[in-house]
Amino acid sequence: MSRVVYDGTPIEYEPGDTLAIAAVRAGQHPARGGTLCLEGDCGHCVAIVDGTPWVRTCQTPCTPGTVVTRHPNGSHPSPGGPEHHAQVTVRHRVADHVVIGNGRSGSAAAAAARAEGADVLVLDANDGNEVVAVFDGPTVIVRTADGIDHLHAHHITLATGAAEVQPVCPGNLLSGIYTPRAATRLRAAGIDLGNVVTVGHELVTLLGDGRVSSVELADGSVLPCDSVVVDLGSAPRDVLARMAPEVPVTIVGAAGEAHPLPPPPKEGFLCTCGKVTVEDLDGVWNKGFQELELVKRSSLCGVGTCQGGMCMPHLRSFVADRSGAVPEPFRARPAARQVSLAEAAAGFHIDTFRRTPLHAAHERLGANLSKFGGWSRPWNYGDPIEEYWAVREAVSLGDVSTLGKMIVSGPDVVEALERLYPNHVHDIKVGRSRYVINLSERGHVLDDGMICREGDDRFLLSFTSGGASVAEMWVRDWVETWGLKVHVLDRTVSHGAINVTGPLAGELLRRAGVAADDHPKFLQHRHLDVAGIPCHVMRLSFTGEASFELHHQIDRSAELWDTLMDLGRPLGVKPHGLQALFGLRLEKGHVIVGQDTELDSSPRRINMDWAVKLDKPQFLGRDALIRTAKLPDERRLFGFTMAGPAPLEGSVIRVNGDVVGHVTSSWNSPLFGHAVLLGWQKRMPHANVVEIDGREARVSPVPFYDPEGARARM
Amino acid sequence: MLACDPIRFAALVGWRIIADPAALDAAPWPVSTEPGTSRVVRISPDDVFLIGATEPSIPGDAHAIVTPEHGFSGATISATQLADIGLHHIEWAVPATRPALAQGQIAGVPAKLVLDADGTALLLVACAAQHELEERLNGVQA
Repeated sequence: MSRVVYDGTPIEYEPGDTLAIAAVRAGQHPARGGTLCLEGDCGHCVAIVDGTPWVRTCQTPCTPGTVVTRHPNGSHPSPGGPEHHAQVTVRHRVADHVVIGNGRSGSAAAAAARAEGADVLVLDANDGNEVVAVFDGPTVIVRTADGIDHLHAHHITLATGAAEVQPVCPGNLLSGIYTPRAATRLRAAGIDLGNVVTVGHELVTLLGDGRVSSVELADGSVLPCDSVVVDLGSAPRDVLARMAPEVPVTIVGAAGEAHPLPPPPKEGFLCTCGKVTVEDLDGVWNKGFQELELVKRSSLCGVGTCQGGMCMPHLRSFVADRSGAVPEPFRARPAARQVSLAEAAAGFHIDTFRRTPLHAAHERLGANLSKFGGWSRPWNYGDPIEEYWAVREAVSLGDVSTLGKMIVSGPDVVEALERLYPNHVHDIKVGRSRYVINLSERGHVLDDGMICREGDDRFLLSFTSGGASVAEMWVRDWVETWGLKVHVLDRTVSHGAINVTGPLAGELLRRAGVAADDHPKFLQHRHLDVAGIPCHVMRLSFTGEASFELHHQIDRSAELWDTLMDLGRPLGVKPHGLQALFGLRLEKGHVIVGQDTELDSSPRRINMDWAVKLDKPQFLGRDALIRTAKLPDERRLFGFTMAGPAPLEGSVIRVNGDVVGHVTSSWNSPLFGHAVLLGWQKRMPHANVVEIDGREARVSPVPFYDPEGARARM
Repeated sequence: MLACDPIRFAALVGWRIIADPAALDAAPWPVSTEPGTSRVVRISPDDVFLIGATEPSIPGDAHAIVTPEHGFSGATISATQLADIGLHHIEWAVPATRPALAQGQIAGVPAKLVLDADGTALLLVACAAQHELEERLNGVQA
């Protein structure tokens, strides 16, 4: 005879035994008590099997040497180490018609569908295909011996039968209690249940110490016993049908039949997954939670792993008794069976993090790469302060390939851009560019960027790295809505961009073969060869210093970067990462949309009214801005200075002890020797002196650095 | 991870053309001097990716955007590889008809499948996401 190890003790099992049956054969409860159904419906036999917790032992065949450990009493088991969460393979399968359940009604449904020519797949846990969830789609999630199947079906038939109702009464967590089908299985396995008492709705109390020893009935009689079989009828096994109400599911057989509810529960554990008692339900009912969903959510009855599979009849009976109306069952949530973390995560991926064409160059330079805005980007190259000084005093390279870039062209392109942007577009000359903000119809700032005019009917638009992913959709949607003739091509992942910035940026360009006379002036752009590589050179500045953005085809990025680094070495060139860049731009007072702005930030709130031309007849958000301009607005973004260290971004801003806002950007300025900040004040009157981190901060005009903008124009 | 041979991507060089659909329908597409190396991928009615050819002209649309395209990587995959990818990494129904273009997430990465009549396919992905797709399909660090 073979053995398994149960709570450290070897026990023998017979061929065909499940772990639960083997436990009963050895005189033990497979968990710590509760009625056993042995059909996988309840959670009364779950245990840790070979290190994996929450395994239904009634569905797990015995194999020699299997180690079973009962879950800790009164608490949940550890999810287990990585060895229990190995990668689970996913298979995507497609079928016209999926029938869940291979009993009599399931077989009939499958035969009928096949007769109509459908491609039918029948899934049954007994055949190794355990359906654990149904999602919109519809997608049926199936656990198999080989992994998880994601089954994409056009039609689903549920033929899962009915589950036996379990008792709710004092003592219902004792061992030695069985449903009729479980008792039949145990007897068929040759297990002697001893003196068995079979009871129905006359059951009042199950008595015993750990194991049932007698039964008290409604007539007051007490019957001694070794085991109790409780026959309370059945309830539909319909958890999967309740999981995705939007999915058309045909229910056949006992799963779709009406079953009478049991009498209202009076006492005992009602939801054994969550150990919720009838007394708990009374408590929430008396607090006013008098509807099935509210009772569920406030008591957590039905949120366990059986998703109401066991407690639903009693819970509905409880609510019906108190409200006078039988409620419909609540929606079930995936999964209908305990699944491991690996099974739940199987087939799902984290977001894609893109790499710029300079990724390898950054790695060679020892960059600390961070995931930012959907991209892997250098946070710093080891010394952000050194990088900062390279920008302020010499020359530095920054990888800005992640910026959104879009070509727009067409006979209606000026009209389209005039309607999209709050700034004037028609007067931008070819070869010139303009800073712009993007507004929603409600006048809230969505993004910002540049417009570069390349021809009468052709422009290059830029967007922030974070805004790039929705920029094409934003432009296309509006152009099509307005019926304008404009071609749109997103170039974000096709064009690289290197920002050459610092007082020696022009000199580096000159050494790269661009004569000084050819350098575009501030807010100009020009197509030039830089180090022999065709570039679209844009003169602008985010750092506050003279800057040339070199846009180019990505197959030349690494070559351009390496050449500029080599040519710039005598000038003290260094690369800079986001950390230095964020400090540099903060000294210049440039906001980062999404960091310094909120979802409802208007231009006025961030002091950018200057970027809005209300004399234009039409642009997105214009009506909202005109309407709200007449209203008082307490919220305003301010610049602050304070002694270092710089407070954390997100720090609370107080005035006279009251919270008035928070810090959105913060930086210890190496140049000024104190901290510079941006932050919100959301209460009038706006104060000139505030408290941050228990220290004094003063409102300061922005830009903090070079307010005349002379350095950017050098 | 695929049971079949690993997928290997290579950068593609070509032209991207955005123009009126009718102009694209009528465009005389140039071909490569090397037979069989150029192809026209119609991404959408107004969008063409012309692989491995000289610069095209689009006479029917004066405002057409015609620009070099280096942003895609591609891998030619066999019918077996396609079936394997479909089984494990595609949650949507791959078109049964050929030729066809299908677009959507593959292993969670936005990608395109140019499905050819002989059962093979050209798998396209942005160069910026190539490493992710390669790693997810092949189960190794790209």
